[in-house]
Amino acid sequence: MSRSLFLSLLTYVLLLAGMITVHGEFFALALPLVTYLLAGYLQGPEQIKLEATRHLSAERVLPDSNVDVTVTVTNRGATLEEVLLDDLVPAGLTVRSGSSRHWLRLKKAESYMFTYTVSGSRGGYVFQAIEVQVHDHLAVGSSTLRIATKERLFVLPPVTRIRQISIRPRGTRVYAGMIPARAGGAGTDFFGIREYQPGDPPGAINWRTSARQLDKFYTNEFQQERVADVGIVLDGRLRTNEFARGHSLFEHSIQAAASIADALLTQGNRVGLLVYATFLAWTFPGYGKIQRERILHALANARAGESQVFSDLEHIPTRLFPPKSQILLVSALSEDDLNPLIQLRAQGYEVMVVSPNPVKFELSYLPVNQTIELAGRVIHMERTLLLQRMGRAGIHVLDWEVTEPFDLFVKRRLSRSPFWLRAIGR
Amino acid sequence: MTIIALVSSILLGVVALAIGYAQGGASNYSFWFLLLGAIWLVTHFRKWYWFSSLALLIIVFAAAYGVWSEFRTLWMLLGALGGLLGWDLSDFARRLSYASPMDDTRGMERLHMERVGIVAGLGFGLAILSVVIRVERLAFEVAVGLVLLAALGLTRLVIGLRKN
Repeated sequence: MSRSLFLSLLTYVLLLAGMITVHGEFFALALPLVTYLLAGYLQGPEQIKLEATRHLSAERVLPDSNVDVTVTVTNRGATLEEVLLDDLVPAGLTVRSGSSRHWLRLKKAESYMFTYTVSGSRGGYVFQAIEVQVHDHLAVGSSTLRIATKERLFVLPPVTRIRQISIRPRGTRVYAGMIPARAGGAGTDFFGIREYQPGDPPGAINWRTSARQLDKFYTNEFQQERVADVGIVLDGRLRTNEFARGHSLFEHSIQAAASIADALLTQGNRVGLLVYATFLAWTFPGYGKIQRERILHALANARAGESQVFSDLEHIPTRLFPPKSQILLVSALSEDDLNPLIQLRAQGYEVMVVSPNPVKFELSYLPVNQTIELAGRVIHMERTLLLQRMGRAGIHVLDWEVTEPFDLFVKRRLSRSPFWLRAIGR
Repeated sequence: MTIIALVSSILLGVVALAIGYAQGGASNYSFWFLLLGAIWLVTHFRKWYWFSSLALLIIVFAAAYGVWSEFRTLWMLLGALGGLLGWDLSDFARRLSYASPMDDTRGMERLHMERVGIVAGLGFGLAILSVVIRVERLAFEVAVGLVLLAALGLTRLVIGLRKN
């Protein structure tokens, strides 16, 4: 019940009681209430005309970085006696300093500016509106309005710079890049020998082989290097990411996916992202910096989730990925993921799995005792068997202990060896 | 500043009622009024702001009952006025809690105290006047008609002032 209605009712009850009991003092008792109500109504704002703007010091930041939010509210109407400004901070952001709520008197044509600092974890946040409550000085009347001022803040996952990722998809695109194309042509790595054809540079003639033949010359062929289609599949299923006591591997998976996407795009490849969780969030494949932003935004908004349909990897929509392309799955893996991955291989995709190790992750925070150690060993063996079976099926699995920095891990496991090492077959 | 004023108002309301009832020979009620004041204070500090409306309701009805029982009107008026001020200040304190440390709460408090003081003084003055000034030859029906006319007039006045 509003304050004015409550007071009015009280006043009417007193007046009514005065009339019924024929007692003048009841009217006297009602007079302070009437005076209060009248004073409140007199001071009440007739028309509220407020304008507001919001400015963020940055629109894309890393987790837990501070962002200054500056709000300016201007009163284009009559003087407002009591104004409560509440900038609605999106859930997930924390106000670090200052306040998003202010209480003030706003004179005619006056502006009020306030700044506060927020920070938050990975995610996409939308500042929707500023809520304004206007009261007269006795708060007899009040009105609430929302001034829409939409701003977006993206807290992007941290991207670890990886110099190079060595992948070997079965098919490549026509543009020159850094992925070995399994085809002879211009390149740096030796690919094979073919018969000399007019136009071949003399420097490419393989004199040793040509010397063995009487009437023919042979030319060295090098492996062409082109860009490739890469589809990154981020596994966001709860059952593979969430563990007891609120621990989650999902943030590590996000970080890995972001770093891989960044490295592959830097190499010039065409990269798409599929977040496989409660629903499928598909970022259409593309090249370059804009695609990098798209993928980072998609990763910022990615949430682990569970659904009946996507509880296993059987529903990965393969039609999203071009034939013979590289599929890079970032997943902690579960036992029943083997068959869907083998099916992907059978359909002609080159499959690589970056798997944050869930066993060591879980053991890292559990108390050390004999039972847990034994359970850990059993689960570790099961996982090792699963990875071996995947390896035998031609799936390249990278078992990542999340305590190791991802860039160092990739450097150790996925970097292409230098030219001089490749020349000697290492 | 608000808290001191709030405590004073609540005390004014309940003590005035307690004295009025005690003088009227119903001193057994006085204890309950003091208890109401204590509960009101406790609930305010526990941020149960809804209680202030209930407390005002009780105090106004108690004052009305006192008037009907022909206890001294002055004490009843003071009780109702204290209740009204306590109710207002309790809500003001709630609104004050929304303010950030950077806001000019001192200025807002001072302004509110001034205005609510003027309103309370005016209301009390009018009430006292209405009690003191008696037109003996006026029929009650005429008085009711006058009150209604005054209410209508005041409404028109408020509308007119707001338009200006």
